[in-house]
Amino acid sequence: MPFLATNSFRTPTKTLNKSLEHNFVELLEEHQNIVHKVCRLYTNDQASHKDLFQEITIQLWKAYPKFRGDSKFSTWMYRVALNTAITLYRKSTRKIKTQEFDTVQFKIKTEEYDQTEEVQLKLMYQAIHELNDIEKALVLLYLEDKNYSEISDTLGISEVNARVKMNRVKKKLKTILNP
Amino acid sequence: MDELELLKKDWKANEEYPKVSYDEIYSMILKRSSSIVKWIFIISLLEFIFWSVIAVFLKDTENMKRFEELDTNAIMIPLAVLGYAILVYFFYLFFRNYKRISATDNAKVLMENILKTRKTVKHYVAFNLIYLVVSVIVVLCIEFKMDQQLISQVNQAAANGEAFKLYAGIIIATLLILVAVIGVLLLFYWLVYGILLKRLNKNYKELKHLNI
Repeated sequence: MPFLATNSFRTPTKTLNKSLEHNFVELLEEHQNIVHKVCRLYTNDQASHKDLFQEITIQLWKAYPKFRGDSKFSTWMYRVALNTAITLYRKSTRKIKTQEFDTVQFKIKTEEYDQTEEVQLKLMYQAIHELNDIEKALVLLYLEDKNYSEISDTLGISEVNARVKMNRVKKKLKTILNP
Repeated sequence: MDELELLKKDWKANEEYPKVSYDEIYSMILKRSSSIVKWIFIISLLEFIFWSVIAVFLKDTENMKRFEELDTNAIMIPLAVLGYAILVYFFYLFFRNYKRISATDNAKVLMENILKTRKTVKHYVAFNLIYLVVSVIVVLCIEFKMDQQLISQVNQAAANGEAFKLYAGIIIATLLILVAVIGVLLLFYWLVYGILLKRLNKNYKELKHLNI
């Protein structure tokens, strides 16, 4: 009987989807800081941060069935999140001074640093926001202690080129502080 | 301390991001994406529809009906069949490329696949514009040869010694209309895709440049 046949097929699929959704949401909830970090570098205000966070979540969910577990979930997340930020996301036109955002949303813990360090950090974050999308990706992967093989794999450039470009970006940031 | 080390230390110390709850994430995955891939997909489908509608619409006009009364099937049927075959071919290419787009590829491959999908549609549009120009030329030739109404007009003009004027008038008018239509379409594509792909193109160039 076709009716029964369809029904008996539908239920397990639904349950499977439910558990897939549940697994995914749990994993993302646990690793959400990765998404926040990408948003922090690529957006300038809270509304855009939220917007990009949502788009990355959607892209992660869409790609999740392809996640085979042969790489770490977090590694896989960096890739999809960066791809969304660099390629897929349609940037909103809102623009707020980058300096304001970093100090408002991510309060720099003043007690840990002296005055000069605080100023340096402010300048650094400001400088990072002025970098282009690819350079930002390199900075993020550097800050996250990713090795060159992972960086080359994420961006699709050779390891040597990743190294060369990374050195250039580091130099660029340093010159901003010590002109 | 080295500035970059200081930055790294601060970056790792500052992990106080606004926490997004389980339910919020759950509701996010039910929302629709607004990625450029989706927009390219929608605009591409609209283009396929646009050109199909144009074809149907042109078929129903008065002039076309008059044209069809002329015995032109030998030319027009193969042209139409060719048009449909090419539409199907482009549609197949478009979907194949679209299916290949995956956010889990590396950034460069992802960008290449998006640009490939876009290129398919670009070729389809170019094909349509060429098809349009060729069709207009073919129709014009047939009209001059077979349309009795036009032939009598030409004869009349020839009697007054104005045959050249008539030919030139028709050809120039047709050319102007063609140029205007193609111009508007190209401007539209340039604007839509220019805005949509500006960032992707810029980032792709940067990555490509890095690999040289």
